[in-house]
Amino acid sequence: MLIPLLAVSVVAVGFPLVYALYLSLTDFKLIQKGTANFVGAENYIGSFADDGFWGAIGTTFTYVALAVIIETALGLLIALALQKQKWARDLTRAMLLAPMFITPIAVGLTFRFLLNDQLGIIPYLLDGVGLSYDFLGSGRALFTLVMIDVWQWTPFMVLLLLAGLESIPKQPLEAARVDGASGWYILRRITFPLLVPVLSVAILLRSLDALKVFEYVYATTRGGPGTQTETIQYFTYQTGIQFFRLGEASSMAFILLLLVLPLIVLLFRRLKRSPR
Amino acid sequence: MKKKLFNSLRGLLLLTALVSVLFPLVWVTLASFKTPSQLNDPSLLFFDPNFENWLYVIDRGILDAALRSATVATITVIISAIAGSTAAYVISTYKAGGNATRFGILAAQVLPPAVLVFPFLTLAYLTRVNDSLLPLIFAHLSFVLPVVTWFLIGFFDSVPRSLEEQARVDGFTRFKAFLLVVLPQVYPGLGAAVIFGFTLSWNDMFYGLILTPSRSAILPVSIAGFNTFRGVELGAMSAAILVAVVPVVIASFFIQRKLVQGISGGAVKF
Repeated sequence: MLIPLLAVSVVAVGFPLVYALYLSLTDFKLIQKGTANFVGAENYIGSFADDGFWGAIGTTFTYVALAVIIETALGLLIALALQKQKWARDLTRAMLLAPMFITPIAVGLTFRFLLNDQLGIIPYLLDGVGLSYDFLGSGRALFTLVMIDVWQWTPFMVLLLLAGLESIPKQPLEAARVDGASGWYILRRITFPLLVPVLSVAILLRSLDALKVFEYVYATTRGGPGTQTETIQYFTYQTGIQFFRLGEASSMAFILLLLVLPLIVLLFRRLKRSPR
Repeated sequence: MKKKLFNSLRGLLLLTALVSVLFPLVWVTLASFKTPSQLNDPSLLFFDPNFENWLYVIDRGILDAALRSATVATITVIISAIAGSTAAYVISTYKAGGNATRFGILAAQVLPPAVLVFPFLTLAYLTRVNDSLLPLIFAHLSFVLPVVTWFLIGFFDSVPRSLEEQARVDGFTRFKAFLLVVLPQVYPGLGAAVIFGFTLSWNDMFYGLILTPSRSAILPVSIAGFNTFRGVELGAMSAAILVAVVPVVIASFFIQRKLVQGISGGAVKF
């Protein structure tokens, strides 16, 4: 009964993966009709020497680190607050979780609209209190993208952490309370350690997903100003689609895969070790 | 006293979070009913709703794009549900395929799409099915199938083995026992997996942008097409955004609780 899965996986994942490896070893270009030549490791050497590629890797990792840190902190706070919420409980949760189900391009375009310096409401409101801030300007655009990510994906953290909090057994908490432990002490010494397995899974899942950031860049900055917001997915897209250099783009994708592989292995071991 | 302060801080935090979440959505909804000149005034809150933007995006084929997205998502999800539920069952019950299969399923879910998209594009060109929905369905299967399978492993794990054993004693074949006894136990999980898989396919833009850029553009690609920023198109873009957002956000309300168990492969339960 494993056969349907294996069959579809070979067609949809296995074969394309092998083909991508082949592409990465050729000088294949989409616009050239005719055969592609085998060039060995040339694309990989080229990508390794490409400053733009490493710049994009750096930008992406900065983006992921900032986004995941903020989302974890905010997510933990909101999950703790929601756990104690009694009034309109399910409705509050459902509304707070909504952003993670929206297509990212819609989120990107919405914020481009909201932040637009003539028509957007946010600059308008800031102007009302005498402030002016160029959200997509030099040195600021990447952080603006991070905040868009935070808007959309903090709910994901809330969802997982809330589930983690609610699956924590009640006895140790009650025992500590009977012994007169303070709320902060219970949080730090009991709740938090018991939450670590869920927390680490949530952080890994979110990081792996944030690495794929593309839509926000496509909707707002297109990599600018300069190359400040060129993320790896956007850079590969440009190399492959706008410059038609599929071989090179594939080699970049494989280097990226190699870089994220340790995270995938870590996630796998975490999920296996989690208590059932 | 301290407790009271704490409670009001908690309320304030949740209120701020709610406003931050709802504000952009409300704003886009308002904008979709504004005329171009009303859009020039961001502070305008009360006005006579105008349906021109909505008629315009329908005229520009937004419903066709939505239909294409729904077609791709439906086919992807049906294949994923069949292949995913059978596989998840044997993986959960018989540890079929071992760790390698489990790892493969997890890795495929988080694989950067940049790795697979160029082979799909090249193969689509070589077989002359480029700019059609077929390569897109394969591309979406590459991440929806592993997610659905992973999702279901967690749900099969919580079905007691004795159910199946009893059915086998009663003379059911292994497949019949699966189909008639075990599978119905995970229907809620299967339903959540199907809705979640549909959402993933419906929301994907990266594969769509590269594999179906023009003639058969899917919804996310087509709403990006309103991103011209001549001012005039802002209202239309807002309407188009809502066409993409509203169905999945409503569907998501029904699966939020099941989602955690599914995403973590049964490791975390609500």
